[in-house]
Amino acid sequence: MHLTVNGRVHELRPASAETLLESLRDSLALTGTKLVCDRGECGACTVLLDGEIVYACLTLSAACEGATVTTIEGIAEPDTLAPLQRAFIAHDAAQCGFCTPGQIVAAHALLAANPRPTDADIREAMSGNLCRCGTYPKIHTAIRAVANGEFRTDAP
Amino acid sequence: MPRKPKGPSKSRFVSTVVEIEGRSETRIVELPAFDPAPWTTDSALSIVGASIPRMDAAEKVTGRARYTADITRPGMLFAAILRAPIARGKIRSFDATIAKKLPGVFDLIGPGDAPTKTRLFSNSIAYAGQPVAAVCASSEAAAVRAIHAIVVEYDADPFAVTFESATAPNAPKVRSSGNLYPNAPFIVTRGDVTAGLAAADIVIERVYHTPVALHTALEPHGAAAEWEGDRLTVWESTQGIFRVRADVARALDLPLSNVRVIKDYMGGGFGAKNGAGAHTFIAAVLAKRTGRAVRCINDREGEQIDSGNRPATTQRVTIGAKKNGTLTAIRMIADVPLGISGWEGGPAQIYHELYACKNVHTEETFAFVNASGMQAFRGPGYVEGAFGLESAMNELARKLHLDPLSLRKKNFTKRDPRKDRSYSGNQLPECYEHGARIFGWPKPNTTTRPLAATRMRRGSGLAAQIWPTGGGPPSYAQVRINQDATVDVLVGTQDLGTGSRTILAQIAAESLGAQLKTVRSIIGDTQSLPYTGNSWGSMTTASVGPAVRMAAIDAQHQLFDAAASMLNTTPDTLEARDSRIVVRDTDRSLTFAEVTAALGNVVLVGKGSRGPNPENAAINTFGVQFAEVEVDLDTGIVRVLRIVAVHDAGRIINPLLAASQMEGGILQGLGYALFEERILDPRLGIVMNPTMHDYKIPTMMDVPTIEVSFIAGSDANANHTGARGIAEPAIIPTAPAIAAAVADAIGIEVLEIPLTPWRVLSAIAAIAAAKG
Ligand code: FES
Ligand code: FES
Repeated sequence: MHLTVNGRVHELRPASAETLLESLRDSLALTGTKLVCDRGECGACTVLLDGEIVYACLTLSAACEGATVTTIEGIAEPDTLAPLQRAFIAHDAAQCGFCTPGQIVAAHALLAANPRPTDADIREAMSGNLCRCGTYPKIHTAIRAVANGEFRTDAP
Repeated sequence: MPRKPKGPSKSRFVSTVVEIEGRSETRIVELPAFDPAPWTTDSALSIVGASIPRMDAAEKVTGRARYTADITRPGMLFAAILRAPIARGKIRSFDATIAKKLPGVFDLIGPGDAPTKTRLFSNSIAYAGQPVAAVCASSEAAAVRAIHAIVVEYDADPFAVTFESATAPNAPKVRSSGNLYPNAPFIVTRGDVTAGLAAADIVIERVYHTPVALHTALEPHGAAAEWEGDRLTVWESTQGIFRVRADVARALDLPLSNVRVIKDYMGGGFGAKNGAGAHTFIAAVLAKRTGRAVRCINDREGEQIDSGNRPATTQRVTIGAKKNGTLTAIRMIADVPLGISGWEGGPAQIYHELYACKNVHTEETFAFVNASGMQAFRGPGYVEGAFGLESAMNELARKLHLDPLSLRKKNFTKRDPRKDRSYSGNQLPECYEHGARIFGWPKPNTTTRPLAATRMRRGSGLAAQIWPTGGGPPSYAQVRINQDATVDVLVGTQDLGTGSRTILAQIAAESLGAQLKTVRSIIGDTQSLPYTGNSWGSMTTASVGPAVRMAAIDAQHQLFDAAASMLNTTPDTLEARDSRIVVRDTDRSLTFAEVTAALGNVVLVGKGSRGPNPENAAINTFGVQFAEVEVDLDTGIVRVLRIVAVHDAGRIINPLLAASQMEGGILQGLGYALFEERILDPRLGIVMNPTMHDYKIPTMMDVPTIEVSFIAGSDANANHTGARGIAEPAIIPTAPAIAAAVADAIGIEVLEIPLTPWRVLSAIAAIAAAKG
């Protein structure tokens, strides 16, 4: 089967029960996406599948024929980090960093769908991404800043 | 002065006492070769004290940071663990014939197959979740398939999973040596509590219950192991690389130096990752047997069931006081079910430390029960104890019609009452003042905010905190100035997500006069880095920071020696800033790079060590937290609206990172107060909520407004950087502050956390019933 991941086409032969998370991490060595609960409860494995947010641990690779996947490794812009990534750095929105890839992909999806989210929108959209370090206030601030137009690559 | 040890050791080595999470340990340490002058409140520092983004953040936001499960080695195999489904009994039969034949399976170890000292795979089962066997295979999926194909039959025996059942007459033997922790009960007394209670105008008695809480770090415990001949390398998600090295060497009968432990990034520890575990030994043993690298990572259920926990407590608290609020006696008697193993990290200590009170008596009985063993969990003992003590103090205030803040000020102690010694620094009164002002105590300055509905009630409450944060030796560091004038801080510590990489680089840059961007911290490798203890007890900054500072000063001396001849002056006329060496009061200068270029391949290495703590001084971090909540009287749901936290932790090296750590501790405390609770079925003996859906931790939806601040200053009496620790103080007062706010909102105290809707509604119903 073919899968386009972060703009690159891959040929994969996933086992029937293989999850997208296993394919990304084990076959494609894209280890930025994390395994935490393996059952759709934490958001650490969040990726974009054809632009939609999915939990890679609950997605069967075999069902993704021809699909386009974006992982944390594909969020950065060609020469620079994405605004969200720079905002996460500036506002200290990663402590241990284990939840961070999932948080950034989820935030990216939120801002793509809703560029001007309210605080409640942010809380709601991000509530499926757990962070045991309790970085939520800083994550919220970072997303808010990007939504406000800070950290834009084209900013003067 | 530190005492010299007996025996032939040189005077460079002294014995000193270090306090770790409330325990005292005597250690031999190397005295520093010189004593840097302390950074005081007035020292003009520019890099230390600055809010600098985490230096490894770019790795984290791009997914490049490599955690243990991201480690791959050529030919690596993947292990899975089979765990016992019963709380106590024996393995009657074990059949792995089919499992071994499944595709991809390389090896399988079960009862009798692991070296005795690993304590793995016993035939007798002492708790549900105990490892019974492990498989390694060419993929994780194949290993998991294989463990499900192992057929084990058990003879189940009666078990005891509660304190009551383990201490009942004729209780099942949880451990052959007995069900009580040795020397039970553990008693600490000062003064005469009976006399103190007799002298009291008011006595309040309460029984508080706290739950078993699970660390639930997002990254589970895990290790990868690879052998080269008789040398073993272990990649481990750990708070203590040197301790893992010692554990592995002991269990596998290897010389210490044949074991190398590496930890790069880790996804949280919170106290549960202080040594090697079953996963470590399984990876090492299977790697030896197969001649391949083996990775063994707990699955989430294994992590929730068997990677440590904060044990439950029952605390019977009696407090006596005069009408004016002066405490006359504190008594606390606790029952603590530890699990199958653990240590005496009970709730008593804070009862002896937080307030001036001549008469204090505590008794703790620790019982072993047929459940997974406890591990230190952020503020062990103090978090549980603070809930009991501070809740009782709030009740005392209510009964006396005193303001709970005034009650605390009244009983403030200027000296450590436990050992009658001074504090290195104690600005708890300033915390009280400052916190009250920010919060608007006693009338929160947010009360104009409309209630979400008429059935809602608001309340506010507060609680205080103390925690030993002196840190101490041994900790050794090197600061290396490379040929290209970049600087490496070399120290065998770990960064759990706390930011130690960043703050150690800040301390080195400040001390050396280097630009921060030229400095990096190299940590987490036992083979090449100087020894440092575990990252626990909020002690990394206070332990490692001074060693790094001294190493940087030593490196600067060497750099000045080299520069002095190039500048035709003497080293004592030189100073450094922004990686430039200047002859004082002149315009003659050289950059670090000009000096290192002239030195060619000479690499300058400064050495530093952590000296002993001052004798007869208590070193603690103090603080207070205020909470405002909204309770739905119909549903019993509690929402925390706001937490104001003010702490005195000495010098803050990096306010941005310190605030993150505080917020994280507060949110863990919020989870502990409102919904975190491991449910272990007393009839089945198994954990009923081993998933992240059923064991609730806070989400972004639960986050209140959090306002964190620190009392400015530097604790130069504690160590020469003036910094103490903050990781654990953050969580200690949160739950009792929230509980007090809930009591204020609904008019009755809830004696057991977490404050689930059911418990809150029951308390409300009890008032209604009492009113008839
Ligand atoms: S690992 Fe997929 S949601 Fe938790
Ligand atoms: S930063 Fe550690 S889990 Fe989120």
